Amino acid sequence: MPSAAEIAWLIPVLPLVGAIATGLGLIAFNSTTNRMRKPVAIGLLTCLGAATVLSYAVLIDQLSGGLPVEHLFVWASAGSFSLPMGYVVDPLGAVMLALVTTIALLVMIYSHGYMAHDKGYVRFFTYLALFSSSMLGLIISPNLLEIYVFWELVGMCSYLLVGFWYDREGAAHAAQKAFVVNRVGDFGLLLGILGLFWATGSFDFHGIADGLLVAIQGGTVPAWAAITLCLLVFMGPMAKSAQFPLHVWLPDAMEGPTPISALIHAATMVAAGIFLVARLEPLYSQFPFVGLVIAVVGTITCFLGASIALTQMDLKKGLAYSTVSQLGYMMLAMGCGAPVAGMFHLVTHAFFKAMLFLGSGSVIHAMEEVVGHEPILAQDMRLMGGLRKKMPITSRTFFIGCIAISGIPPLAGFWSKDEILGQAFSTFPILWAFGFLTAGMTAFYMFRLYFLTFEGTFRGNDKDLQASLLRASGKSLEEGEEELIGHPSGSVHESSWPMTLPLVVLAVPSVFIGLLGTPWNSKFGFLLDPAEAAAMATSFDWGEFLLLAGASVLISSAGIVLATFAYYLQRLDLGKQIASRFPLLNTFLVKKWYLDDINEKIFVQGSRRLAREVLEVDAKVVDGVVNLTGILTLGSGEGLKYFETGRAQFYALVVFGGVIALVALFGVLGQ
Amino acid sequence: MIEIGLLPTFGSVGTLGVDALGNDFPWLSLSIFFPIIGALIVPFVPDEGEGKQVRWFALVIALATFLITVAAYLKGYEPSQEGLQLAERVDWLPDLGLVWAVGADGLSMPLILLTSFITALAVLAAWPVSFKPKLFFFLILAMDGGQIAVFAVQDMLLFFLAWELELLPVYLLLAIWGGKKRQYAATKFIIYTAGSSLFILLAALAMGFFGGGQPNFEFINLAEKSFGTGFQILCYAGLLIAFGVKLPIVPLHTWLPDAHGEATAPVHMLLAGILLKMGGYALLRFNAQLLPEAHTYFAPLLIVLGVVNIIYAALTSFAQRNLKRKIAYSSISHMGFVLIGIGSFSVLGTSGAMLQMISHGLIGASLFFLVGATYDRTHTLQLDEMGGVGQNMRIMFALWTVCSLASLALPGMSGFISELMVFAGFVTDEAYTLPFRVVMASLAAVGVILTPIYLLSMLREIFFGKENVQLTSQNKLVDAEPREIYIIGCLLVPIIGIGLYPRLMTDTYSASIEALVKRDLVAMKSVGRPVPSIMKKGLLTPALFSAPEF
Repeated sequence: MPSAAEIAWLIPVLPLVGAIATGLGLIAFNSTTNRMRKPVAIGLLTCLGAATVLSYAVLIDQLSGGLPVEHLFVWASAGSFSLPMGYVVDPLGAVMLALVTTIALLVMIYSHGYMAHDKGYVRFFTYLALFSSSMLGLIISPNLLEIYVFWELVGMCSYLLVGFWYDREGAAHAAQKAFVVNRVGDFGLLLGILGLFWATGSFDFHGIADGLLVAIQGGTVPAWAAITLCLLVFMGPMAKSAQFPLHVWLPDAMEGPTPISALIHAATMVAAGIFLVARLEPLYSQFPFVGLVIAVVGTITCFLGASIALTQMDLKKGLAYSTVSQLGYMMLAMGCGAPVAGMFHLVTHAFFKAMLFLGSGSVIHAMEEVVGHEPILAQDMRLMGGLRKKMPITSRTFFIGCIAISGIPPLAGFWSKDEILGQAFSTFPILWAFGFLTAGMTAFYMFRLYFLTFEGTFRGNDKDLQASLLRASGKSLEEGEEELIGHPSGSVHESSWPMTLPLVVLAVPSVFIGLLGTPWNSKFGFLLDPAEAAAMATSFDWGEFLLLAGASVLISSAGIVLATFAYYLQRLDLGKQIASRFPLLNTFLVKKWYLDDINEKIFVQGSRRLAREVLEVDAKVVDGVVNLTGILTLGSGEGLKYFETGRAQFYALVVFGGVIALVALFGVLGQ
Repeated sequence: MIEIGLLPTFGSVGTLGVDALGNDFPWLSLSIFFPIIGALIVPFVPDEGEGKQVRWFALVIALATFLITVAAYLKGYEPSQEGLQLAERVDWLPDLGLVWAVGADGLSMPLILLTSFITALAVLAAWPVSFKPKLFFFLILAMDGGQIAVFAVQDMLLFFLAWELELLPVYLLLAIWGGKKRQYAATKFIIYTAGSSLFILLAALAMGFFGGGQPNFEFINLAEKSFGTGFQILCYAGLLIAFGVKLPIVPLHTWLPDAHGEATAPVHMLLAGILLKMGGYALLRFNAQLLPEAHTYFAPLLIVLGVVNIIYAALTSFAQRNLKRKIAYSSISHMGFVLIGIGSFSVLGTSGAMLQMISHGLIGASLFFLVGATYDRTHTLQLDEMGGVGQNMRIMFALWTVCSLASLALPGMSGFISELMVFAGFVTDEAYTLPFRVVMASLAAVGVILTPIYLLSMLREIFFGKENVQLTSQNKLVDAEPREIYIIGCLLVPIIGIGLYPRLMTDTYSASIEALVKRDLVAMKSVGRPVPSIMKKGLLTPALFSAPEF
């Protein structure tokens, strides 16, 4: 019996086989396959379930001291160049495998409920399995190039899933934007990988790190070039993990079905960037400047995401900006040279953010009964309120998620976020200050979301408000009204068990998993980096810990208290107050720091204009010269149009005859 | 000047006449003449006028040709050998120095297989053709033989004849079955290609007569002649124009959007799948292999032109509102990678160029077929009039998505690995200075961003959005039929196969590419540097083109 790590390659292959089988079925026997919902769902769940079991076996194997396993084969070769591919299983990978399979499995169960009435149920499950397979492949990739391969594949799945409801204009644009912005990051990643390959002759993580060190010492590669290459590679994680300024795609990606937002755009794919930076730790740790850049980018992202989340009225977009902000925390940890802390936050965040997103999906699903399948209405918190009594499981798990992300001990978010802030405090105190401030903002906006959604009175039946929201979003009123008539107002109720079960399951780790990473005895740290964890445990100082932790708990509590006053007790109308006193700040936040506008004006419109101008040149100048030559040589006022039927055949014949004649002539002359 | 004796053996020297497996069955002549004979029988096939019988006959002939080329590959071709295989040589007109010499090495064999494969699928794609079906299938089959001849002949004069012969079927296919502006497009095509191919004739004659004595145009003899550097440069320039029109290289490309824009789907598949590859093949065969010294002078220009192709064509494609022309420009953009690969002086890059040709042959054919199939339903090619089509044609939408993703070089499909090989080969090779490589690779990588922009915008504008009432009221938007799914399926098998395991394809030609690049490197060593003197005074700083150090 081979050990679990030896057959780890099966983990991505299992869901892939399922996805291929269903995908071929969809192409070849579309209507039949679409009707076979149950068999497809059970089949894919089995594939993913088996992968999950295997992943946990691998994790247990690594926990009990199993050695990392690596298998390679030559994938491509030309001349002296050969490119190995294969798989590697180490503690970092094992943790990610278990995390991704768990959440993917729960999301798949959830989708059975969420997508129950959707025509594309089977297609959705196929995409889910395809995504899981690509993501798992990314995790076990042994070198940068293989990571790039799966990196693109998860991007493709994200494109397909964001654009899943392809009749929606918004989804179409969001899907394209997600792919293109990610390609901007991949542009850097690809150049960086190629450059590192040029400098070191290797794609392997350790090979690159060692090779680059040797190359710099040997003088073949200047230090500035090495730093440039590192930063180019970092562009990939910046796009994928939604770091400033390439974060613009993530909030738009919320156009996709909510289970996808939970799986891809909160828990797993967006974490791939963090994961890659952790993999590249041996490389990045050589250059303090690169670490500084990463930390600064992370801090800006963290602060920006939280500040925009303060004003969001769309439930999912609020959570999306929260994700941006939390990813910023993780990147900050990476920049501080504390990959273990970053990875720990990745894990805890994956659990509670997936739960929050699935909870929001449950809410939206319930709201659609009242306001119809119009995301502008179903996701707007101004139409929610008072859902706690109607949706007890959803509201309770959402509440747990809010406490967890706010960093209240002993829930998961406290331990991981506090560790990052502690690391930042000792490395970059200024960046710590921003992170600290963000912690307060996080608690505030999360409880704002909670109170607006679940407390107060239900506002969903307010037709005037619905109409004004539709008008504000630029949709025509008639269209909206039609849709309202199409969906007579039902009532809000708790979702079915496939949707609530994953919420409950996810609540467990959201509460307890943090205890695995206590700074004085971090089991998580001992798995990933035993030396580092031991050093941390010995140098642990209760006084310092209590001071820092106390401060962050204090600011989080302040945020919660403020939110309670403003949105639960409704003692002060914070929105209006801010808007009247600081109109500039308010518009700045509502406009999302104007980054979307800048992106639209400069890049989208700019590229369109440039393309049009080039086409103009092509048609008028380049082709014009050709046509002009035609006119001159043929002596015709109408150019090539004159040169119609018959002539060209004649011309070709002349050429051909000429050839024969020349051949004959030279033949004679040659004798 | 270099001593030819010092060169690594040119492909065929030494192995000519001795077949790899001692098999002297004339496989290649058979695969050239079989479809041509089939074409000559087409007029006598009993048919009721709608093409219902003749199309079956054509399909059988095309499939049989494909099987013959496969048999040739399996029986008489040994991939690990660099030399000429399956060689046949018959004196045709000895007085004129004209011989019937065919053979296949790593440069030819994959393209011969590609030709017969795509042609068979094109015949299947031409199933609905009902206007003058006999003439149509006659031309397609004649073209099949002509195309294989272009890749198989080993004599430059013969090559020129095959090159010219293949123009006539294309011209007629364009002019008779094309769209509204077919006459204009066909005329433009013939003037461009026939005009530029005069350079091939001039170069062939010059090279054949060089050194006096009995003229001889066979590649092996041409390879042994020691042309002067100036002579090489003259020939190279002429050939570059001729093949640059075909590939095409910006700014010699303007015939292509017109021709591709007017062609019907099957012709379109052949144009994109095979005809463009003639340009790339000929650049490798003549410019890089027979004129290695001139190649060291021109290679930097090829790189620059390749980058221009990638960016310029990607931008024009983005702005195009006509679907066919959009994809036509995307073909030009993809051919830029072939140019960079050929100019890279590295085995990896040149291998990548070869793979890019094969890969684009498959992907381009699939996209153009889909364009045709979509046009049959929507009766419009204007993107502004489409939109929301995905509601009615789900499978078509899926096929489009897969092929577009293949075209934008998604890993797991052939386009990714070929572009990656070109990039990696160019960047890691020491033939160019570091700044030149950095600038060119960065610019070429901009294509990585531009390609998804125009391809995904295109998908969005055709398929996404609410159901298109205006279109559905006038046309019946039926979903893809089994024949169409089958054609795309056949094309996707090699696309994904190569993407998953590229050695399936690269192993069939890597020995020949290695020999070719070695020859170029020896020439570069003797010339010293790939610095064209004309470019020293040009816009680009000379530092970009300074020499590699040996």
